[in-house]
Amino acid sequence: MKNIESTIAVIDPIGLHARPASQIVKAVRQSGLTVLIGRKGGKLIKANSPLQLMALKIKTGETLTVSVETDDEAAAAALFAELQGLLKG
Amino acid sequence: MSAIIGGIGIGRTAVVAEALQISPTPALPSWSKTSNSVEAESKILTAAITEIEAQFKQLIAANDGSSGEILEALSEILIDEALFETATTFLEQGWSAAASFGKATDSFCELLSGDPAMEERSLDVQDLSKRVQAVIAGIDLGLHIPSTGFYVVVADDFSPADTSQFSASVVGVITKAGGPTSHTSIICRSRGIPALVGAKLAGQLESGTSVLLDPLGNRAVVGGLIGDATPALEYVPKREQPIIQVLANIGSVDDALLAAKTSASGVGLFRTEFLYLNRTQEPSVEVQILDYSKVFTAAPAGPIIVRTFDPEGDKPLQFMGLEPKASLTNYRVLELRREVLANQLRAVEGARQSTGREVWVMAPMIGSAKEALDFADLARNSGNFKVGVMVEQLSLISDIGKLSGTIDFLSVGTNDLAQSLFNLDRQNSINPDLLDPWHPEFLLALSQIADSAKQAEISVSVCGEVAANPAFALVLAQLGFGSVSVAPREVEAVSAALRS
Repeated sequence: MKNIESTIAVIDPIGLHARPASQIVKAVRQSGLTVLIGRKGGKLIKANSPLQLMALKIKTGETLTVSVETDDEAAAAALFAELQGLLKG
Repeated sequence: MSAIIGGIGIGRTAVVAEALQISPTPALPSWSKTSNSVEAESKILTAAITEIEAQFKQLIAANDGSSGEILEALSEILIDEALFETATTFLEQGWSAAASFGKATDSFCELLSGDPAMEERSLDVQDLSKRVQAVIAGIDLGLHIPSTGFYVVVADDFSPADTSQFSASVVGVITKAGGPTSHTSIICRSRGIPALVGAKLAGQLESGTSVLLDPLGNRAVVGGLIGDATPALEYVPKREQPIIQVLANIGSVDDALLAAKTSASGVGLFRTEFLYLNRTQEPSVEVQILDYSKVFTAAPAGPIIVRTFDPEGDKPLQFMGLEPKASLTNYRVLELRREVLANQLRAVEGARQSTGREVWVMAPMIGSAKEALDFADLARNSGNFKVGVMVEQLSLISDIGKLSGTIDFLSVGTNDLAQSLFNLDRQNSINPDLLDPWHPEFLLALSQIADSAKQAEISVSVCGEVAANPAFALVLAQLGFGSVSVAPREVEAVSAALRS
């Protein structure tokens, strides 16, 4: 399987706080995909823990890198769109 | 049935509302190791998490909008896989299910510290963790106060965990135990909730009956009307400035912001331990610098008097690893944990430099001139502060003369002083009358302190809760105290009296 990467802008005015972090983990779980997330250019972590996502302390205006392990490009694109929607604030 | 229930009133505003008897919530057991298998404890933990998750599902169904969203986020955090993995590593070290979950939560909250938006969530996450631990221990943590309507809540006493559950529907508090300086009184005063503490007949109040809580009358009247309440003494300000300075007591950024909106001419008491009550690990110097800087920045103009950690029995600092109700005086305790005190002073200096504020430091529970001088040495070597000590142990009073020329200021903690004088336990007063600030022995002790300080040419103030009584503040000014420090909500009333 290949890794498909995309970037997501954090537009939410409080940054990557509890609500979006939890929603991201929930969306990832429901997608059934293995997903890594992190600050762009930084270390990526498994998106299965809202607390670890919150601990990244990502602020408004920063960019996230999201990496999905799948051959299904349509599924990856749908997940990227969903995650971007969650960080609109 | 007695229609009037006597006690000690806290606050000045009377209220009429329905009485609501609250049954006490037991404390969570302390964390321990277990001889059970990791698998068995892991099952216990999973079951407890599942139960809380089910409770949250019900709450989520009942709450829409933003509170529903917060609950959903929290229920996702509850089943956080990394949190469970961390808990499992503690299980493998032999800790019980409750201890492992608590420790895992602490380690994550540590990661979230240093960011205000995240730290607020830390409190929620800690609350989640406590709920899980309570389920494991078979304890019902809820106070079950309805969120609609208005209630005067009645109990033997309330713990800090209880008072944190007071919602807007709590408009008054009556407790059987406690005095003017007990935890419930301090919280009610800072939140502006009228209270009657030390009300021996509180148990007679039946839930559902209408009650007048008349704090100025030191009573509650069953079926009483608001018009029956004791009117407040009115002080008509005649001067621009109070005859002695009025400063604010704070314990958080919120308190500091509240104080900054008053006429307080500085912070007379910053209770640093209030920032870290639930920590099991000592906050790092860096974390402390950040936290203190936030408070300093928000604080009203004027000097900020920082009290070093005061690890009392009723609010033990977990990270110091002390048994509740440690029999040592607190300065002795700090001596044993000298590196904690040294780190804290370094952090206060760091925050002083980064905010450019005028910062004074003082140590609590000093028992002798020797201890005071020891603290002064340490503090002066740690930073650029005025250095003082609290006078709250009887043994220090006769030693005040020896502090001349070495200590910059004294601050009287009337709470502990009264306790020391009458040999009382602050929380469980046997005779609340003895915690009455007008007790002649207490007044005599205050007068002695003011006189000794004057002879030793050391400025002296009062930062205890009794100064919040405007009439008492006037007496303190007459006794020779140079300033008083009171809860932010009391600043204007005290100041008005001191300008009359």
